[in-house]
Amino acid sequence: MSVSNLLQNWSAVRHTHPVGDAPHAEYKWAMAIDLDACTGCNACSVACYAENNLPAVGKDKFEHGQQMHWMRIERYWDEDGRDMPDQGAQFLPMMCQHCEAAPCETVCPVGATNHTADGLNSQVYNRCVGSRYCSANCPFKVRYFNWYSYPDQEISWPSPMEQQLNPDVTVRTKGVMEKCTFCVQRLTVAKHNARNEGRLVQDGEVQTACQQACPTSAISFGNLVDPASKVAKQWKAQQVELAVDKQAKDEGDDSHEVGEHHSTTKLRGYRIFEELRAYPSVMYLERVRESAV
Amino acid sequence: MIENEFNRRDFLKVLGWGGAAVAVSGCGFTSVQDGVENVVSYVEANEYMIPGIGVYFNSTCAQCDAACGITGKVREGRVLKLEGNAASSINRGRLCGLGQAGVQAHYNPDRVTEPRTGKGEKLDWEKALGQVKEKLTGVSGDEIAFLTGNLSGHLKVLLGNYMDALGSKNHFVYDAVAPAVMRASNKKAYGNEMPALRLDKAKVIVSFGADFLGSWVSPVNFSQQYAQFRKGVNNGGRGVLVQIEPKMTLTGANADRWIPANPGTEGVLALGLINALGAAGVSIPSDIAASVSAYGVERVSKDTGVSAEQIQKLAAVLKERSPSLVIAGGGAEGYAHGSQNAAAVALLNQVLGNVGKTVEAPSVVPFPQLAPTAGGTAGLKAFNDGLAAGKFKVVFTLGANPVYSAPAFMKLADNLKKAAFKVALADAIDETAAQADLVLPLDSAMESWGTVVAEYQAGDAHIGIQQPLMERLYDNTRSAGDILLSLVKQQKADDYKAFEDYYAYLRGAVVQAKGSLGGAGMDDDEFWSTVLSSGMVKTGNASSSLRTSASAVTLPAAAVADAAFPLRLLPYVQPSMRDGRHANLPWLQESPDPLTTIVWDSWVEMHPKTAAKLGIVEGDIVEVTSKSGSIKAQAYIFPGIHPDAVSVPFGNGHTELGRYAKGVGANVFQMLDPVFDQETGELAINETHVKVSKTGKRVIVVKEEGAAGGSQAGKKIAGRLASNNVDLSKEV
Ligand code: SF4
Ligand code: SF4
Ligand code: SF4
Repeated sequence: MSVSNLLQNWSAVRHTHPVGDAPHAEYKWAMAIDLDACTGCNACSVACYAENNLPAVGKDKFEHGQQMHWMRIERYWDEDGRDMPDQGAQFLPMMCQHCEAAPCETVCPVGATNHTADGLNSQVYNRCVGSRYCSANCPFKVRYFNWYSYPDQEISWPSPMEQQLNPDVTVRTKGVMEKCTFCVQRLTVAKHNARNEGRLVQDGEVQTACQQACPTSAISFGNLVDPASKVAKQWKAQQVELAVDKQAKDEGDDSHEVGEHHSTTKLRGYRIFEELRAYPSVMYLERVRESAV
Repeated sequence: MIENEFNRRDFLKVLGWGGAAVAVSGCGFTSVQDGVENVVSYVEANEYMIPGIGVYFNSTCAQCDAACGITGKVREGRVLKLEGNAASSINRGRLCGLGQAGVQAHYNPDRVTEPRTGKGEKLDWEKALGQVKEKLTGVSGDEIAFLTGNLSGHLKVLLGNYMDALGSKNHFVYDAVAPAVMRASNKKAYGNEMPALRLDKAKVIVSFGADFLGSWVSPVNFSQQYAQFRKGVNNGGRGVLVQIEPKMTLTGANADRWIPANPGTEGVLALGLINALGAAGVSIPSDIAASVSAYGVERVSKDTGVSAEQIQKLAAVLKERSPSLVIAGGGAEGYAHGSQNAAAVALLNQVLGNVGKTVEAPSVVPFPQLAPTAGGTAGLKAFNDGLAAGKFKVVFTLGANPVYSAPAFMKLADNLKKAAFKVALADAIDETAAQADLVLPLDSAMESWGTVVAEYQAGDAHIGIQQPLMERLYDNTRSAGDILLSLVKQQKADDYKAFEDYYAYLRGAVVQAKGSLGGAGMDDDEFWSTVLSSGMVKTGNASSSLRTSASAVTLPAAAVADAAFPLRLLPYVQPSMRDGRHANLPWLQESPDPLTTIVWDSWVEMHPKTAAKLGIVEGDIVEVTSKSGSIKAQAYIFPGIHPDAVSVPFGNGHTELGRYAKGVGANVFQMLDPVFDQETGELAINETHVKVSKTGKRVIVVKEEGAAGGSQAGKKIAGRLASNNVDLSKEV
């Protein structure tokens, strides 16, 4: 997309999401992550390194917060003042939520991060000038900046490690922002295949790398527009809607606060920071804890 | 199998590429333009190799002994990414992080690439193997020893034949973090070392320190079963997990109830539960009931530190929800009375009637000669005793790094010097290879042929096939099979002359047995290509059975505390580092430990109360001292540990093993006390007592966890639902 095209079609590119006037046509990629299945094992995160050419940065850079893991596992403890966390820890796989009304997009001075027609938050590396406003404005802190040229860093891909790099994915240069793409290279292949056969991508035809690795199948991914997709069914069953900021589950609960949720609705689905109206494309399912034991 | 059917060739032509990598994702520079990678020319490309299109080959993961099936994506002759092989009944298309990092073991920049002498002089293979032959001349079989990790398949067969040819019985199998005590106690209790565990069928799982989601036995298989157990697919409602362990593992972190019983009292708690179940009306054989009569709730509560109320609750749930599944793991077996602990846990299973329901007779590959020989630390001890006595003149090591992982009290590094000629078969110069007189460089698992039989078979028993996913990166590495074949040919040339290399041997062996491997009626080539394309051979299950007779267990009296060493050291087997062999993989070093979120280092976990008592804060460099040694590492204040214990992970603290491992963290193996399980002779890894002192230095702990230290700061980020008896199986 050229800059003149961008300017001419500004309203189309920069219209607000989610919108009624231009809903997603064929595809709206979305995810559901079941926190009751997720064990916090990190397989998804390592799979993402392998698929998406993420550099290992080493201890010093990690200390400075320069780690590049698009998928990270957050670990939380209960905060009820007990001595022992006797109901375990809480794990949360966190990556770009592909917000429909992405706070990162509106602040980019050069339009390097955009909403795609199939509902991704895309990052155009060769347009990015490295202002890092997007990262500052992302409520989920899932954007990672290339402070260095990692191919030149001795630690990341010393020979012959560069041979592992995935040719379908760009190795990013110094000074650009990057983040989870929902494995757009895999989506592209699947869409091409489907188009050549005159059909749409079917559910299960394409998996993200994290989803594919996950030993507990905690992650599901697919096309929200396709009512037959697992992810659409999950969203529907959990009564989570893309374009609203208050889900059925939250009725009567204005707090958005942490703590045990005693559901009256039996619904587990929620989106993080719903109140910020970023309209994320990732639904989480609450972890369940029994106290009978 | 080709990943996309649209005409990529045309697409590439349009872009002016031939055989080059094209970033389908569009924007930015391709790595080729960056000079990061080369364009590989295909002088004689295979017909099915289309530049730009991935081809998939099935093989078997070699990162741990679970032997998951893998599918490697190969492009332009390079293996890029591993996925799980969906046809494998072990991992069903899934893969753990350790398995994912298999490609980094292959492309590791610190691999050893040529045969070399102890002084680092390069040799060619002929000279290297000639040296072995020469050194073996005039040496009797008793004076030769071979130390390996767990072995199975045809490699095990060849090694056995080699040792026979040498007239040696000194093959020692060593696994530093093996569930060896459990195997022995399973054998006693169920008549089988490794019964099949049906987590998915259990309504309640009580695990005594088995980190089955992290590092125990077959974690990917168990993780899948765990997901079904939670979902309520085969057990009629969401299963409940109780984890009993004084140091929280990944599995403990996922439990509905994590119970930090006093270290070593797992057996007491198990017998206490049997007693409580009896009192609640569960029928228990009278001899067993009598044997546990001393384990009343009050006493058990006092010994274990678990509240009486908690014990009653647990007994009530176990009584009410059947079948359940009780498992003993490393947390329970690492004691001088580890065998008794494990036996008490097995007894609880029997009393609960779980045998035959959630503990099933395993699937067994009907070829005992290929079955794994799985070892523990007893193998290391025997090897070391032989070295110490000066019995061995020539020693070989393969898949084991005893100089790193043997505790200092064994003085193994010194004892090893008594052997005149040490040969290390190694893929990198680790601590053991650094002491060797001859290093024979191994192919990576992505370059070798092999057959692997998993110790834990799930569902359909099968032999995993390991096949090269790409050409050798270095001309002068060889597979362990090829090296052993050459060595055995030195002794018995005639017997093996039909086999030019290990590939020929393996193919010959597999094809020869095609009749019993489902290949009757196929011609050899056809059968062999079926085997290769599926990456495994289904063998059918040999019959196996379990015993259900229960017998009473006696536990020793509790040990008295040693005032000089007031804390207990509970070393942690990290899922990604295991016994330390993977410390050279940067993805794993940079992958935060799930519990502490620490990267690129070791740490000392301490409960906040204990830390406060000692005046220690996060990042203090502390010295942890036992009778046998000491280490220094950063303190991490961690709520998931018993206040009378500290925990340090195994795996780091290498003095060799390449740039990513060397100098990172501390080696906790070397400070372990010489205490052994009394029945099996396995090293009791939880029996080391320590004191902790500050050194005065402090560092910033490099970790993923943010400044809020695991708090959600009042926001709902990771949601939790408190609910009893939910059934998630109705959910989509
Ligand atoms: S791989 Fe699956 S279970 Fe493991 S951390 Fe990721 S989402 Fe959770
Ligand atoms: S999660 Fe952050 S980076 Fe991703 S779309 Fe939302 S605001 Fe942008
Ligand atoms: S469990 Fe073991 S065999 Fe399976 S993928 Fe992980 S490392 Fe490989």
